[in-house]
Amino acid sequence: MNPNLSRRHFLRAASSVIALPALESFGFRTFASEKPIVRPKRMIFLGFGFGVTKETWFPDVNQVGAGYTLPEGLVPLARHQQDFCVIQGLSNRYSQDAHWGSTFWLTGANRFAEPGQSFHNTISVDQAAAAKIGQDTRFASIQLNGGDPGLVEHHQGHGPGLSLAWDAGGKPVAGLNSPALLFHRMFSPDTMSLEQRQAMLAQERSVLDAVMSDAKTLQRGLTRTDTDKLNEYFQSIREIETRLAKDEQWLGVAKPKAPVDEPPAKLHGKEEIRLMYDLMVAAFQTDSTRVFTYRQPTESLVASLGLKVGLHDMSHYAPGERMEASQVRDRAHSELLAGLLDRLKGVREADGSSLLEHTCVAYGSNLSTVHNLENCPTLIAGGGAGIKLGQHLVLPKNTPLCNLWLTLLRGVGVEAERHGDSSGVVKEIMV
Amino acid sequence: MEIIKVVANGVHPGVLGWVVWSLGLCGAAFAEPTAVAASQSNSGSVVAAEMPEKSRAFFKTYCTECHGEEKQKGKVRLDDISLRVDTLKKADEWAKILNSINSGEMPPEDAKQPENNAKADFLEALSQTMVVARKALSDQGGNITMRRLNRREYQNTLRDLLGVEINVGTLPADGSSESFDTVGSALFMSPDQFMLYRQLGKKALDQSFESAVRKMEVHKTHIEAEAETIPAVERQIAEFVSIRKRHTKWTRQVDVAALLPDNVKMAGEIREKTKANPEKFYLEWEKIKGAPGPKEFGFPDAIDANMMNGRWDQYVPQGADYLTLPKAKTGTYLGVAQLHHRWVSVSVPKNWPAGEYKVRARLAATAEGAEERRFVDFLSDYPSSQVLSTHQVTGTMEQPQTLEIPVYIERDGARRFKFGEKSILGNPDGKGFADQVFAAGYKANHIGPEYAVWVDWVEVEGPIVPARDAKVFAQIRGQIERFQKGECGARQFLSEFAGRALRGRSVDSEFIDRLCGIYETRVKEGDKPLEAIKAPLALLLSSPSFLYLVEPAEPGKSRALTDLELATRLSFFLWSTPPDEELLKLAGDGQLQKPEILAQQVDRLLGDARSERFVRPFVLQWLGLSRLDFFQFNSRLYPDFDLPTKAAAKEEVYETFTHLLKKQASLNKLLKSDSAVLNGLLATYYKVPGVVGDEFREVSLPANSPRGGLLGMAAILAMGSNGEQTSPVERGAWVMRKVLHDPPPPAPPNVPQLNRLASKPLTTRERIAQHQEDAQCTQCHRKIDPVGFGLENFDAAGRWRELDLRPGVPQQRRAIDASGVFFKGASFNNFFEMRDLVAAKPERLAQGFTEALIEYGLGRSFGFSDAALAAEVLERAGKKDFAVPEFIHALVASKAFHSK
Repeated sequence: MNPNLSRRHFLRAASSVIALPALESFGFRTFASEKPIVRPKRMIFLGFGFGVTKETWFPDVNQVGAGYTLPEGLVPLARHQQDFCVIQGLSNRYSQDAHWGSTFWLTGANRFAEPGQSFHNTISVDQAAAAKIGQDTRFASIQLNGGDPGLVEHHQGHGPGLSLAWDAGGKPVAGLNSPALLFHRMFSPDTMSLEQRQAMLAQERSVLDAVMSDAKTLQRGLTRTDTDKLNEYFQSIREIETRLAKDEQWLGVAKPKAPVDEPPAKLHGKEEIRLMYDLMVAAFQTDSTRVFTYRQPTESLVASLGLKVGLHDMSHYAPGERMEASQVRDRAHSELLAGLLDRLKGVREADGSSLLEHTCVAYGSNLSTVHNLENCPTLIAGGGAGIKLGQHLVLPKNTPLCNLWLTLLRGVGVEAERHGDSSGVVKEIMV
Repeated sequence: MEIIKVVANGVHPGVLGWVVWSLGLCGAAFAEPTAVAASQSNSGSVVAAEMPEKSRAFFKTYCTECHGEEKQKGKVRLDDISLRVDTLKKADEWAKILNSINSGEMPPEDAKQPENNAKADFLEALSQTMVVARKALSDQGGNITMRRLNRREYQNTLRDLLGVEINVGTLPADGSSESFDTVGSALFMSPDQFMLYRQLGKKALDQSFESAVRKMEVHKTHIEAEAETIPAVERQIAEFVSIRKRHTKWTRQVDVAALLPDNVKMAGEIREKTKANPEKFYLEWEKIKGAPGPKEFGFPDAIDANMMNGRWDQYVPQGADYLTLPKAKTGTYLGVAQLHHRWVSVSVPKNWPAGEYKVRARLAATAEGAEERRFVDFLSDYPSSQVLSTHQVTGTMEQPQTLEIPVYIERDGARRFKFGEKSILGNPDGKGFADQVFAAGYKANHIGPEYAVWVDWVEVEGPIVPARDAKVFAQIRGQIERFQKGECGARQFLSEFAGRALRGRSVDSEFIDRLCGIYETRVKEGDKPLEAIKAPLALLLSSPSFLYLVEPAEPGKSRALTDLELATRLSFFLWSTPPDEELLKLAGDGQLQKPEILAQQVDRLLGDARSERFVRPFVLQWLGLSRLDFFQFNSRLYPDFDLPTKAAAKEEVYETFTHLLKKQASLNKLLKSDSAVLNGLLATYYKVPGVVGDEFREVSLPANSPRGGLLGMAAILAMGSNGEQTSPVERGAWVMRKVLHDPPPPAPPNVPQLNRLASKPLTTRERIAQHQEDAQCTQCHRKIDPVGFGLENFDAAGRWRELDLRPGVPQQRRAIDASGVFFKGASFNNFFEMRDLVAAKPERLAQGFTEALIEYGLGRSFGFSDAALAAEVLERAGKKDFAVPEFIHALVASKAFHSK
């Protein structure tokens, strides 16, 4: 029997269970007790763009291993110290653009790798993970993007891109830019009947077929670069087709009931981040997706903290007002992250383990500090990737950041051979 | 000139000239040549970068002991490294070398260190070589990538095709700080975007069909401004009179209770405690036995009672004063305090159709209001208050003026508009100009400042359909009527529409078949035909044939454009929209390729109001003006650089360019000019007398004016600040990039920051002098910083100043020193001398402008392979003293513009 079909039947029958807390995806089958329970692995990537205040964010390099003293910038995370590790020494060696904190953060690509082009990127680690661990959820992955108006044009420390995610062709993946949008995507119920939706899906297919036929006609007689360009269109349509196929799989399953309230339409800075974090937890609770990236707001965060220092000025901090502002921003980031970890710990799976035990949270930026790209600030929390926690690690200078991404990929069960410019895994953090 | 090694095998002479030029190597006034060489590369690109031979000596002295034949520490060997950087691999190797020297990692601390100047020279050569190498390696070789319509072109196209304007703000923004929004390779597509195109297309069709078939009825609403104001003021006075009465009654009764023997001690204690502010006594009324509570007098609590009573002072005398004003009964004096009459508003009812409306207001400036207050902001009121435009009030109380403002109203867009005194909303950082005006006036007389603007009435009328839209509607109406009468089937409807939408290109029949299929399904589903046809039409507007500017070609072969393709390219270049009927007709008749006809068309397009769709986006991106919105200006320091003034300052740049374009004037005027293009608001800011009104016009400047030319424009100067302090580095770098065409390399990563003097009380100039201490900084800053110093007489908001009032700077060091020396070049004593030096090299601005124009017009980044094209354009424009339209004519006439 087609495994998809059987699952769909089950989904229809069991749709009422879906909304139970921390349940109930079908990647693991508690009902078929012949196999041990495998909890799904989940990943969250949080990029904060501009780097950190070096003096107060990185732990002392002389205190490695467990029992290191948390630096001031990480103090708000103290209650979780046993659940994360801080890793120093990682960099993306091809990165040359200071103030591009996110463009290559998860990809490690060489911007200039393509002759005749001034920009090139490759797949980001979240998308590589989603291709495998995103198969069983309604959304293979969800990209979030801070709501700062200037983010796209001025990058605000993140660099070019539409989110942290880059697809298999190295093209930018767009993100949702408000908690309200995310909420509706995940929880707004379909108002149409099953038949109506089936009919609509069929219509959508013919719609896609129509534009595909136009695209195919166009493709004849195009130059290579133009064909590449048109491929983005093809790729978009194929992606929608994949979404439709997913929709079809999930046709019989009502969207889960939201375990949180609908967020207000306009939220900025700190509030936006907090709500996005809440919704990530809600998404895991309802197993709507297992992979998140979030390109966090920078400008509106600083504004919401009441800081009067310009964003770029702050990144070039020097002792005094600008450095203090930079430290306030670091602490705010840590407090928000601590809140997310609290909530991930607070949600229990059926076997009593917490969501955090099965989730890998990667938190950092490609930009280290000021105008430096070496030693990317990196904090990995949660047991999702099965790495050592409670540690402070100092790796040899300029260890490829992609070695860490590869380690995490393998940790969540993706058998990747390499990622980006990886030269191996980070053995030091493997259990 | 110092010796430069340039290897140029079979390169167009113009190319060579350009390479040297583009690197800022030739201008004796500014800088001596940087030792960078360029040559034809063997990797296909026209030019490759090469490090100077003397680099070997540098390596030999400082590096090869560890990175040589014998030892190759870190697997790096420099004794036999190729100086020619013509492959990606070599570029990566050299980038690594640059990076490790910049970061201070190499040479290691315990090794022999190069002397500062030698190190700076080496770094400068290497940084520049890397720029050349990257540019050469990413050269598209004249290839134009097929591109998607960008956001604004998409919007314009829908407007011209359907007669309606829709908000496209939900689409992701195009372009980036690195390229123009017309550069195809940077215009992406995503699944969400495809879905958005369908939604927006449907919305535009709905609105268009509705407009096309509705009765052409014009609505009007007229509001006498006093109608709401007078009752509101009277109500407010009555309310506060009542509040004071009740408050007095309450406090008297508390006082009486306080006199009771039981209360005397307690009352004494409280009075002692609240001596400084006796009214606070009543906040503790509960401690006085038998005292009545504020609730009995209609106040929620004691704090509220005191607060409301306290406001009497602000409201009642002012209100009473207002009612005595001579024309309060026939209009509204716009207030600046938190009163009811800060605005006069007008709404467009929900059931009036979308389209263009005229909002009118009859206005006067009072005799008493200060000159800088004789402006009104016109704002949208919902969903959020937003300033749409600012207008000078030129009418007098004896002879008011009527102001007319066109607004485009969307079906679900803003429908309420209002007028208020300029900057009444305040700045996002809190206080605004209006608040300061009120505070000063209130302090003087305890009533408030004089009123500056009086509004007689406001009205709104519309929709007034512009002729072009009316023509579109008539066409669509005709099509709809034939369709509904059965004279034209769905297939024909779709084909006809596709013919127009796809810019005259033929439509594939399979595609039309499928669109018809979609229509039939919708009809089967129960849609009415006219509704059902919108689904395939919206899809057509999301199809690649519509969204992309397609120019098929055989791979690897360049070919001449067809007439139709040329018409499309030209129209998108100068109007950001598809070709109009005249262009299509000329193309259809095979006339457009004729040079004289093409030139006529360029003039026609540039002369039309739609050329604004070229000027604004082009100038914005060419000069990087979006940086102006980067910072919030500190309104305490720069109260008069409020949002309307900032907007006018930006407008000056566009208007100046438009002026040069229309007058066929020289681009050189952007360097230095004895006139400026100003309106009343900006002239007030610049303190240039005698300019009244909203429209920008050419104004002669006094001989000693620093204005006239880009370097004297508030927008340009303000961009080189952080909203509080000037940044000579930003300003200097901007001038190097845009005006002198000698762009500094991108700021390198991993250079240690200079913090040593961060907390010292230094002048801006002293602070920046630190760059001299470190070779990594000096390599670029020795060129950048002097230019910035020359602009120090302009404060962060572009106002002229003689003193640097930066907090902490000692009194005796405050006088601005704007002198400087161009690196290895001429010296200047002040701004004016620097401006003269810059203006003496007009070909540099022209070069940068040409490259930008090519990039924007052809939709691809400018590469070395475009050097001949740039030279051709420059040569032609140079013959006409760099007249602005001449550059455009030259580009349009070029072979590149006619080829795929």
